[in-house]
Amino acid sequence: MARFIAKRLAISVVILFLVSVLVFIATLLLPGDPAQAILGQQATPERLAALREQLNLNDPVVQRYLEWLGGIFTGDFGTSTATGASVGAYLGPKIVNSLVLMLIAAVVSIPVGILIGSYSAIRRGKAADNATTYATLVVAALPDFVIGIVLIAVLSTNVFDVLPAVTMNPPGTHVWDFPPQLVMPILTLVIVVLPYIVRMMRATMVEALDGGFVEMARLKGVPERQVITRHAMPHALGPVAQVIAFQLAWLAGGIVVVEYLFRYPGIGAALVDAVHNRDIQVVQTIALLIAAVYIVVNLLADVVGIVTNPKLRTEPAK
Amino acid sequence: MNSEQRSAPAGGAALSRRGFLGAGLGMGTALILAACGSSATAGSFDMSGTPTPGGRLRVGLTGGGATDTLDAHLSVNTTDIARVVNLYDTLLELDHEYGLRPGLATKAEVTPDGRVWTVHLRDDVVFHDGRPMTGRDVKATFLRITDPDDPKNGAVDLQPLREIEVVGEHLVRFHLDTPVSYFDRLLAAYTSGIVPVDYDPQRPVGTGPFRYKSFTASQQSTFARNEHYWHDDQPYLDELTILNFNDDDALINALLSNQVDAIGQIPPALVEVLESDPRIDILNSETGSWTPFTMRVDQAPFDDNRVREAFRLAVDREQMVRQVYSGHGRVGNDMYAPFDSAYSKNLPQRTQDLDKARRLLAEAGHPDGITVELVTSNIQAGAVEAAQVFAQQAKGAGITVDIRRVEPTTFFGDDYLKWTFAQDFYYTRDFLPQAMTCSLPKSAFNETHMDNPELTRLVKQATATVDEGPRTELIRRAQKILYDEGGYIIWGFANQIDAYQRYVGGLVPDRTGLALSGFRFRQVWMREAQ
Repeated sequence: MARFIAKRLAISVVILFLVSVLVFIATLLLPGDPAQAILGQQATPERLAALREQLNLNDPVVQRYLEWLGGIFTGDFGTSTATGASVGAYLGPKIVNSLVLMLIAAVVSIPVGILIGSYSAIRRGKAADNATTYATLVVAALPDFVIGIVLIAVLSTNVFDVLPAVTMNPPGTHVWDFPPQLVMPILTLVIVVLPYIVRMMRATMVEALDGGFVEMARLKGVPERQVITRHAMPHALGPVAQVIAFQLAWLAGGIVVVEYLFRYPGIGAALVDAVHNRDIQVVQTIALLIAAVYIVVNLLADVVGIVTNPKLRTEPAK
Repeated sequence: MNSEQRSAPAGGAALSRRGFLGAGLGMGTALILAACGSSATAGSFDMSGTPTPGGRLRVGLTGGGATDTLDAHLSVNTTDIARVVNLYDTLLELDHEYGLRPGLATKAEVTPDGRVWTVHLRDDVVFHDGRPMTGRDVKATFLRITDPDDPKNGAVDLQPLREIEVVGEHLVRFHLDTPVSYFDRLLAAYTSGIVPVDYDPQRPVGTGPFRYKSFTASQQSTFARNEHYWHDDQPYLDELTILNFNDDDALINALLSNQVDAIGQIPPALVEVLESDPRIDILNSETGSWTPFTMRVDQAPFDDNRVREAFRLAVDREQMVRQVYSGHGRVGNDMYAPFDSAYSKNLPQRTQDLDKARRLLAEAGHPDGITVELVTSNIQAGAVEAAQVFAQQAKGAGITVDIRRVEPTTFFGDDYLKWTFAQDFYYTRDFLPQAMTCSLPKSAFNETHMDNPELTRLVKQATATVDEGPRTELIRRAQKILYDEGGYIIWGFANQIDAYQRYVGGLVPDRTGLALSGFRFRQVWMREAQ
């Protein structure tokens, strides 16, 4: 298993390198450069020339890329052309903000999803199961921004007005210093990912409950609670881990819309801003980060899959 | 040509949101809200009587981002302008009617030849750090703006400026290379905010009604009341916070959930919905802001004036204003600067005439109609919608419009000012500065590539004419040329629409096109609920 993980990690590094090259090329293909993007309509030749000089945009692109790549190994992600600050200092707090959102959303949605899915499977065919099935189908079909808008309309404006609609923390404070402001974005993310976890958990749980080993356990007189928690659930969790991983990876990329809607100061908003400003260093760093989250999360899912499925624990003979 | 009343593109925010969420979504929340009805009860506020001192105003604006700055002379986006107007004062000021009034200077006098402007400074003005403002600071300010190695926003306009002479502590003389009859208006541009001799944007010191407290780019900035402000009783507020929003939805939600007190520039389509909320007031300001279609007069097919005329006649201006601005605007007559006292009001209003348009196209060699590409972008609220409505209207005249939508950075990229048929936008300006900016061969933003010797001569002569009577005559003749042969289709002027909580006082309609009374928050005050 260690060899498997090592191999996957090596591949991950190669993928990250390719991602950085691709993103770099993609940003170069965008028309205009940072100076033009920053000045917009104000871009007279004199001001463009002055700003390009200030931003070192006259250096060859390959040199700029290599300097950036070289910097990564020393933990220096370069300088943001839009802000003039170091990318690390600029993105650091935003990364933390996004991670807080993602982690809480994950911590809430994973157990809740597993519980609802399992309950649904146990009550298969009954009213509660049917209701869950319909609800998850409907919610899964809704785009995230629709969910967010409905939540805002119901919970933070005219109808109930119990939660703040947008995140607004004064400079020098953290977003988590104001917990009510976190509720809406987290709730949106939870509602977005929950249906998939519930449906997958229900499906695999149903399969497990139909399995011979569950029947055997029941025949042997194992209490039902134990049948479910000791025998059925572990079997169902392996495949669900893959779905959860996929959802978490989605959170990393899809957080953009939610952050936008709630004015949440995370990497999503920063990414949109950076693309608009042609801030290549920032775009690349965020793209690399999201790619890294994808890779790590998928790796973890594979590990969980192996741990819960003995058949996969040994590598096939060569 | 100055950057007065020019603003940044609408901001990546708006575009990106549309990219992600699709146009039309902007109305999502509000429509849901309208459907839900309003259960919240409005507090009762007595807004009559004298302003109440104190309070903290929270203002939400879109259009900012990571490039936000506090630099007095580098403002690019809306939030920059809002900050600059409140941190720094100008020598003269524009009032809400777009007229000139004294600012840091009590008056500005010009010699009959229009080349020397003498400015009398107030003697009771101090900077935020307590030092008095003098003529030396004024000189340093304009030298900074026009620094040839690092020109700032207003530099293009101030090109004729040759020398600034500090005559006394509170007397400054501006010497110009060429006469500029409207130089006093340049002194009132928000890009000409006065800063001290040792100005450092890292430590933004000005003479404005509010002083710097904190600033986080793309997030928010906070300013405290300037206790030494030269204006009687103003500002009323203790504190001003300007919050960036990247999205209209979030902006409106923040207002509805009472997280901000006032928001700038809301989509016109939402006016009715917000108006129905008893807690919210709408500020609807007529402005001289315009989003023209730009036809290059030096390129086929628009090098033939009959084609340009046909395009102008293809537009149903009333319908454009109704559909693009939801009726919150006025029709245009292919001339800019409607608030200029010299604006030609007696030229006949152009209206849609499809038959004549077809006939003109046929005469110009397009009997079977014509196909053109229109480059559009989300450069200002309503631009893309205007392109779409125009494409519909033009069909009737045998004009097929292929809309090519690009993002703002592309629009303002290498091909900006080179598109054959596109759009642009400008805030309120007077005729001469506007013509200098966009209608002369050497103009910095001559998107239509106008090169009409008679027009150029008239504009230059008017610029050099200090006497208002003859100047008006020259301007009217120049406007006639634009009306007859220009490359712009100026179909309308947009209203600026803002929204605020009922307890906010002091906001009045403003013609500049800048949001929330031209961002003059020093006159704003807040009432406690009764």
